[in-house]
Amino acid sequence: MSAVFALVIFPGGVFILLAGMLYEWVDRKLVARFQNRVGPRWFQPLADTVKLLAKEEVVPDGVNAQLFVVLPVIALAGALTAVLYVPVFGLAPSFSFSGDLIVTIYMLSLLTLCMGLAGANTLNRFSLLGATRTLTQLFSYEAPFLLALLGPAIVAGSWRISTIADYAAGHWLILTQPIGFAVALIGLMGKLELPPFDAPEAETEIVAGALTEYSGRGLALFHLGKGVELVVGLTLVAAFYLGGVTNPLWFAVKTLALLVGLAGVQTLLTRLRIDQTVGLWWRYGALLVLVQFLALILWEGVIA
Amino acid sequence: MNNPLEHTWQSVMDQLKTWARINSPWAIHFNSGSCNGCDIEILATLTPRYDMERFGVKLQGSPRHADILICTGPVTRQARERLIRIYEQMPEPKFVVAVGSCALTGGAFQGCYNVMGGIDQVIPVDAYIPGCPPRPEAIIDGLVKLLGSLKADGAPERASEPPLAASVLEPSS
Ligand code: SF4
Repeated sequence: MSAVFALVIFPGGVFILLAGMLYEWVDRKLVARFQNRVGPRWFQPLADTVKLLAKEEVVPDGVNAQLFVVLPVIALAGALTAVLYVPVFGLAPSFSFSGDLIVTIYMLSLLTLCMGLAGANTLNRFSLLGATRTLTQLFSYEAPFLLALLGPAIVAGSWRISTIADYAAGHWLILTQPIGFAVALIGLMGKLELPPFDAPEAETEIVAGALTEYSGRGLALFHLGKGVELVVGLTLVAAFYLGGVTNPLWFAVKTLALLVGLAGVQTLLTRLRIDQTVGLWWRYGALLVLVQFLALILWEGVIA
Repeated sequence: MNNPLEHTWQSVMDQLKTWARINSPWAIHFNSGSCNGCDIEILATLTPRYDMERFGVKLQGSPRHADILICTGPVTRQARERLIRIYEQMPEPKFVVAVGSCALTGGAFQGCYNVMGGIDQVIPVDAYIPGCPPRPEAIIDGLVKLLGSLKADGAPERASEPPLAASVLEPSS
């Protein structure tokens, strides 16, 4: 019974969806304020979602209709599953087993993978271009992002998120692993396709990227999945690097502080070309985080 | 629908739908032959100074994502099929706003050999915004009026029902 509750109401289902919309609004509002605009009203993401859910869903010619309908559902389900292993709202994770860090990270990638497949499933050339870019970007940020989250796991000596979070609650790992923190945060931006990493959905060049052919329900589910992923990603980074999220207040303060940083970077920088994105990650991101990883392993294995 | 509970539920859902539609109009912009004066004004409307995101308006690139088709200019014979195609690609419910004198009647281009006339000769139009070109304030006013008319009965009154029939869809020789 409590498992069902955790899945459907809190923290898994309804609450995390609402929290995702709230965080999306905060992000949009902050960007608007940085650009000297008024910005959207507080219920904007909710209105967008309801409207999209109530709209007609067009299934275009030439797609595999079953895949077309089922992909958004899998994407959202992946994001919602990841929530269960993460200390959202400053509470202990609903479920945990040793190694759940890896599972969570791959659950989060499921959304991107589904978007890539969704784009490749249509005949639309813009979707195809978007899908290619989405998957290229996935391969560029995924490894550095994973390595950046493994840094805290190494020092905590565990692959279980709750153990790492407990360890990190006593240590501000941002001070000892600043590179990992930066790479994790920027990797999160890549994951969510926020500017400057929005080449996969660049609306000025390729219409709307992989989701060009999606309308109504499918689009709404992908948007919801993104919101959930934003909350989960921010929680992970805050829990691992910013001294843990041990109660709801700290959760709100730390994740929102991270969100202000994200919105600032989004406003400051312009879109990178896809080759620049890949170059940035593999030339600098991956190398830097690998060096730090090596230093950590040496420290843990030889000195400590 | 005889069950009163079911009836209430239905009306609540309808209200929620209308509320969401009014508060989240995503737009797509199509130029079917305008002189670009109107397009510049539409872009000006979307700049931070006027900030349409206040009303939830978001410019979308894909017709599949959009609710409102903002059209400018008279319909040229070449643009007609594209216009119809974009209109058909949008999912229901969809609304069309004609911006500028040319989009209303053909304006300065009326009577040209390659011009069909206003937008409403080709697809049904829900709101007309006159001016050559209309100011951003006028465009915002037109959009707000369109959304206001949604509130009244869920569907705006159409000023005209053009013959969006096979005869129109087929390319003219
Ligand atoms: S209404 Fe005026 S500005 Fe707009 S397209 Fe026509 S001539 Fe150009």
